[in-house]
Amino acid sequence: MKRFFLRNSSGYVFLTPWFIGFFCLALGPILASLYLSFNRYDMVADPRFVGFDNYIYMFTRDRRFWKSLEVTFTYVALAVPARLIMALTVAMVLDKGLRTISFYRAIFYLPSLLGASIAIAILWRQLFLADGVVNKVLATVGFTGPSWITDPKTSLYTLVVLAIWQFGAPMLIFLAGLRGIPRDLYEAAEIDGTPKWRQFTRITLPLLAPVIFFNLVLQTIDSFKVFSPAFIISNGTGAPSDSMLVYTVFLFNEAFKFFRMGYASALAWVLLVIIAFFTALAFLSSRYWVHYENERD
Amino acid sequence: MSKFTRRSVLAGMGVAAAATALPAMPALAADRSIRHFWWGNPERDKRTFAVIDVFQKHHPEIAVSGETVGWGDYWTKMATQTAGRNMADLVQMDYSLLFEYARRGALKTLDEHIGNGLDLSNFDKGPLSGGYVDGKLYALNIGSNSQVMPLNARLLEEAGVTADPIVWTWDDYADACEKITTKTGVKGSDDLSLTTECQEVWSRQNGRGFYNADGTLGFTVEDVTDYWNYWAKLREAGLLRSKDKTVILDAPFAEGGMIMGETAMSMFWSNQIVGLQALMKDPVAAGMVPHKAGGKPGQFIKPSMFMSLTRDAKDVEAAIMYMSDWVNDPEATAILGLERGIPANPNVRAALAADFTPPEKVSVAYFDSIQDKVGDLPLPAPKGHNEVRDAYMRIGTDVVLGNKAVAEAAEEFVQTGTDILERAK
Repeated sequence: MKRFFLRNSSGYVFLTPWFIGFFCLALGPILASLYLSFNRYDMVADPRFVGFDNYIYMFTRDRRFWKSLEVTFTYVALAVPARLIMALTVAMVLDKGLRTISFYRAIFYLPSLLGASIAIAILWRQLFLADGVVNKVLATVGFTGPSWITDPKTSLYTLVVLAIWQFGAPMLIFLAGLRGIPRDLYEAAEIDGTPKWRQFTRITLPLLAPVIFFNLVLQTIDSFKVFSPAFIISNGTGAPSDSMLVYTVFLFNEAFKFFRMGYASALAWVLLVIIAFFTALAFLSSRYWVHYENERD
Repeated sequence: MSKFTRRSVLAGMGVAAAATALPAMPALAADRSIRHFWWGNPERDKRTFAVIDVFQKHHPEIAVSGETVGWGDYWTKMATQTAGRNMADLVQMDYSLLFEYARRGALKTLDEHIGNGLDLSNFDKGPLSGGYVDGKLYALNIGSNSQVMPLNARLLEEAGVTADPIVWTWDDYADACEKITTKTGVKGSDDLSLTTECQEVWSRQNGRGFYNADGTLGFTVEDVTDYWNYWAKLREAGLLRSKDKTVILDAPFAEGGMIMGETAMSMFWSNQIVGLQALMKDPVAAGMVPHKAGGKPGQFIKPSMFMSLTRDAKDVEAAIMYMSDWVNDPEATAILGLERGIPANPNVRAALAADFTPPEKVSVAYFDSIQDKVGDLPLPAPKGHNEVRDAYMRIGTDVVLGNKAVAEAAEEFVQTGTDILERAK
């Protein structure tokens, strides 16, 4: 035991900032929120213990809770694959060895940094309102589009488009992964006359599987927690008609607009369980499709 | 580096934890200090900090620190500070939340300070009365306002609208919308289907309010149906702002229909006329919310803002001195002007009248003209009001977009609102 810690001591030293942050800043609030989730607490009066009432109300009576789950699952199901496909496609184009690659990398990464800014909310309205740019373009080909962003039937898709546009982070990781695939495999395939598509499915995808897996897990977790774009574009309301009421926007409103801290804490713990479930699912499934090069069976 | 052991690392962490847990040392600089916290906008913040400077000049021994955020974040921060027993000594209070804070013991009463540090000898009784909760004064009125329909005077004149907007009826309003739209090409009015403040006036004209005295929902299915139908008719006739702009909830002030040049009439609170004119070229006039022929008065004059002394105030004497200066000191009140609403001290009003700007003149003339046409101030909203308002806008959105029939939506709203209030109890 002692030798183990001695051997790893420098690692622990490097972890110290995280440990301090976790134990001094994060752990207390995390435990407090677990406690509060069994209370009714409006931040002015003292918390009042109510047992499992918050959880029971959530699952049996709160229609907006179910609505927010529906919106969030739809968003995750669409945004994660779409963003990953976009990221991989662009990464493969860049991997072909453009000379100005660092320039393009920066350009493509930029939207990821802008996504949570107020400017995006304004831009998105300019693009997707009835008299927005998108409809003006569609009008030139004789198509009359709806007011995408204020029509409950289409508003969530504008969020998905925003998510796709922010493909920068997974793209960089894909790019690094692609660079790690030995060139001679492709050369050999080339000599054998293997078509490009088969090279992709037989060489690129299997060797990239660990990176795809890594991106999939991260993006799934991120997408369940999506907050800023929905909050900003709907002015914090999830409007129109709750069509942009993603889970965290719902949670934020319950906590900081309606002052139901106990209930909001319970919501946070349910989200944790949901994310943990899907992450576990990804890990369990990974043994069937992810193979590591140095893995010994 | 290898000299670090688990024990030394953990010990170090313990020290770090202890250091962060040390209580903040009391400020030593000034012997006395007060904190003032308000929700604001750039103009209001500028004026308030100038007033703090004036107070500092007169009382150098008291350090005043000002904190300000926008309305949206204000109540979050306030609730957090209340929970942390770290409220500012003086806070800006809103009529809708006064009961909630006072009844939970977050505020101190002011009665014992009246005439004893707090000079209210020149204070109108009407505005003062809004600050009482259960017979005790918990909040000092620092401005009054009322509902208002701001009007683009140029467009109304061009369209030949002749109805007197102080006494006009809902039919006159519809008629004005029609004239403006056909003669000027600008839409007559914003679509107020999602404006609970306007629905409230409508219901009061029918003898009901937003809430009943026992805190249940006052709007009936009939009120909401009629109100939504009134706007639906104008909307179908093409006299209102476009649907897709209407359903953007809580949009920024600067994106309003009148400011964007898309409409000629809308609804606000009367102290906002000054802010509205600042963003518009055309002159802004003021009208009342249209009346119901033979109906009861719908509008009311309410305290636009209060100042309250909190449970956590330490130097109460200094805080009361500051509060008293706010409503009496000529230098301070001259800086504050009408930005927070109409002051309740007649001497202050008289002093201000000399240098009114045009929108301030509109605002004051409007306020004078409505005095005998308003009803009683309703009780502050019960807990859950914010959520009821959200539900109204959400369900109303389906009506505006044509996804739900008016009668069905009105019924859904009344049911939802009733449930929300029940849960919030």
